[in-house]
Amino acid sequence: MTSFVRRYGTLAALVAIVIGFSIASPGAFGTASNLINITQQMTLLAIVAIGATLVMAVGEFDLSTAALVSFGGILVVVLFKAGVPAPLACLAVLGGAAVFGAVSGFIVARFEVLSFITTLAMGTIIGGVTFWLSSGATLFGDIPAGFRDLARGKIAGIPTLTLWLLGVAVLAWVVLDKVELGRRLYAIGGNREAARLAGVRIVPNTMMAFVGSAMLSALVGMLLTARIGSANPTGGGGFLLAAYAAVFLGMTAFREGEANVPGTLVGAAIIAVVGNGLTILGVSTFMQDIITGLIILAAVLVRRTGMEGHGR
Amino acid sequence: MSDADPAEGTPPFLELRGLKKHFGGVRALDGAELTLRTGSVHSIVGENGAGKSTLIKTLSGLLVPSAGEIRIDGTPVTIAGVNQAEALGFRFIHQELSLVPHFTAVENAFVGRPYPRRGGFIDWAAMRRRVAAAAGDIAPDLPLDRPVGQMTTGQKQLVEIIRALVGQPPRLVVMDEPTASLSDGEAARLHAAVERLSRTGVAVLYISHRLDEVMAICDSYTVLRNGCTVGAGRIAEIDRAGLVQLMSGRAEMRGQAQPPAPGSPTVLRLRDVPFGAQKRPVSFDIRAGEVLGLYGLVGAGRSSLLKLIWGARSHAGGEISLDGTSLRPGRITDRIAAGAAYVPEDRRHEGLIVSRSIADNLAISDLRQVRRAKGLPLTSRGRMAARAEDVRKALSVKMDAPWNGPLTLSGGNQQKLLFGRWLGTPMRVLILDEPTRGVDVGAKAEIHQLVQRFAADGAAVLMTTSDLDELMALSSRVLVMASGEITADLDGDALMPARVIDAAFQQGQRTTPKEPSV
Repeated sequence: MTSFVRRYGTLAALVAIVIGFSIASPGAFGTASNLINITQQMTLLAIVAIGATLVMAVGEFDLSTAALVSFGGILVVVLFKAGVPAPLACLAVLGGAAVFGAVSGFIVARFEVLSFITTLAMGTIIGGVTFWLSSGATLFGDIPAGFRDLARGKIAGIPTLTLWLLGVAVLAWVVLDKVELGRRLYAIGGNREAARLAGVRIVPNTMMAFVGSAMLSALVGMLLTARIGSANPTGGGGFLLAAYAAVFLGMTAFREGEANVPGTLVGAAIIAVVGNGLTILGVSTFMQDIITGLIILAAVLVRRTGMEGHGR
Repeated sequence: MSDADPAEGTPPFLELRGLKKHFGGVRALDGAELTLRTGSVHSIVGENGAGKSTLIKTLSGLLVPSAGEIRIDGTPVTIAGVNQAEALGFRFIHQELSLVPHFTAVENAFVGRPYPRRGGFIDWAAMRRRVAAAAGDIAPDLPLDRPVGQMTTGQKQLVEIIRALVGQPPRLVVMDEPTASLSDGEAARLHAAVERLSRTGVAVLYISHRLDEVMAICDSYTVLRNGCTVGAGRIAEIDRAGLVQLMSGRAEMRGQAQPPAPGSPTVLRLRDVPFGAQKRPVSFDIRAGEVLGLYGLVGAGRSSLLKLIWGARSHAGGEISLDGTSLRPGRITDRIAAGAAYVPEDRRHEGLIVSRSIADNLAISDLRQVRRAKGLPLTSRGRMAARAEDVRKALSVKMDAPWNGPLTLSGGNQQKLLFGRWLGTPMRVLILDEPTRGVDVGAKAEIHQLVQRFAADGAAVLMTTSDLDELMALSSRVLVMASGEITADLDGDALMPARVIDAAFQQGQRTTPKEPSV
């Protein structure tokens, strides 16, 4: 019974929140179109959070996430302005982010520096690079329509952004749950020294997690630019806390204490649903932040008290 | 040498009578006796696991004995907690020092103690006066105002002693391996401090692996073996050989394992691998079917040497080869590919990934074995479960579902998982660090059979153990280490407990390393 609550409690909470809002504002919240709208609204946050899930799987943090979102959004426009074809520009952005991620991962794994500090420093560096690339200004113009379509419109009735989320989520779930890399990442996150002594190579595997997180953040930066048609050097600022909040909420779901993709999706959905529902009810945004924060605290506290009974 | 031997006529300050402490089926103490007089420097000696630490813990209130009596000045007492031990005037100085590095000696002396106050504020002048007074008796030239992080290990030991003297006057100071990482000069200063301490009427319990030191500064001794006091008396009336004989006992026992068949090929070969603080070259061979035991006291460097061979630590120079193929320093994956296997000492922290399932723990060292299809890095849950089932059968592990966590198993079965991790590939070398620590008697016997089976199948086994009986039962040859050096290589008739213990207490020349080597 308690293990059932611990496994599915967070999911049940999401369902309860959805039902609650549906009753509170029946004509507006509970409609199919609004629910599809929510999946679209949560996409960018959820993809960043999935990147964070990879890093959390090895037991580390990536605080450069927000800076990488801004970096991706700006760099792609800078490349467009320089006349680089769109596919090449996108690849270059992902490649650049991968380099930053690889450096963070290498420093964390090879020199055993706290990832908190390493990625704080990397995030500061990336932020500086982004400002330098953009001269501190919001960039717009020269963005190809085809690129903007990546985050606009629908395919077969489903918003394109929602399809991105589905694709990334399935890919990350396969990597973490079905591929050898995932076994290694969780082993490192579970007990780094034991994994190392059992023959898991810490440095390349940890680097992979950071590279994945960095590339997903940069992807979100590009999707953000595609969606709003411009890029701001601080455009990713809001993603860091929300993404880790989603991962932490997700760690209370499905598996006990391990970052996992389905859980992260539930976590991101809770944050998105609460935001959407409260907006429809006309609750101010600062009140929304306070409520979201309280929900996260409550989820974590419920989990802690559940674990005490578990004898840990 | 303590010049004032305590008079035999005075009543003993501390007596332990028939002290027993059982953990489940394990008897850590089984009738320990101790008599300690005021002003005496008394040594407790014994091999690993003889019960020294447990005995000290009963004095410090960390453990309550299962049976027996602790008497102070002839009156039985129960020491229920650390605070009570402190109130009785007992002070403990552990090998791992508990000082705040950026605090000075003066500041450290008052950590966790009531500070002297003046008008509600801390009275720094009074603090310094009290520390200086304590230091004046023991170590007059210790720099009291320097952060202890900048001090040598020997000076830190002195700060610990001074800390023990500040506040209520102590009646007993227990020192656990205080000179293990000290240079000659520092050790001499510490000895002088201990002597002055004892002259102030404090009783000192002194635990050391250096028998020369014990002979030099202690006036009486107690020898523990298997949790039991097997000898006690005045140092003046015994010599080093006598102490070794008491510690080892089992005079008639010889190595019980058969040596490998003549002509068995060498599997693992070390040539001039630099090891320890001195970077002394280590060389030895292990042949197919041979179980080589590696014995040494705690801190001798056994685990570090195993880790170096396993590639968990790197080395510069020398060569380690397996079946004639050289292994790159610090590359664990090289060892695994060549057919080596390793079972670490610390199951919880170095062995098991406790947050992952049993099946995951068994698969992690070779994920190719549980692939969905050859050449594709996709893991099959079905194959992981099948592999767990294979291991369960092969090693008779008592477990339910393979997807449960490893901590749902008993210690012995957890240990079997760490062996099972390496099944499925031909095993050439098996490196075992304390393979039966914390397992019950039945599981111990099963693990012994496992080790013998792997050896019989042609593996070269390198095993450390602190259990002398296990060492004698399994190994046909034993290397003994002391302070990072190999001090004996024993086999055949030479393989007897007294020789092993003697070599383990063979401390080399002291050096002046900044930090302990291993």
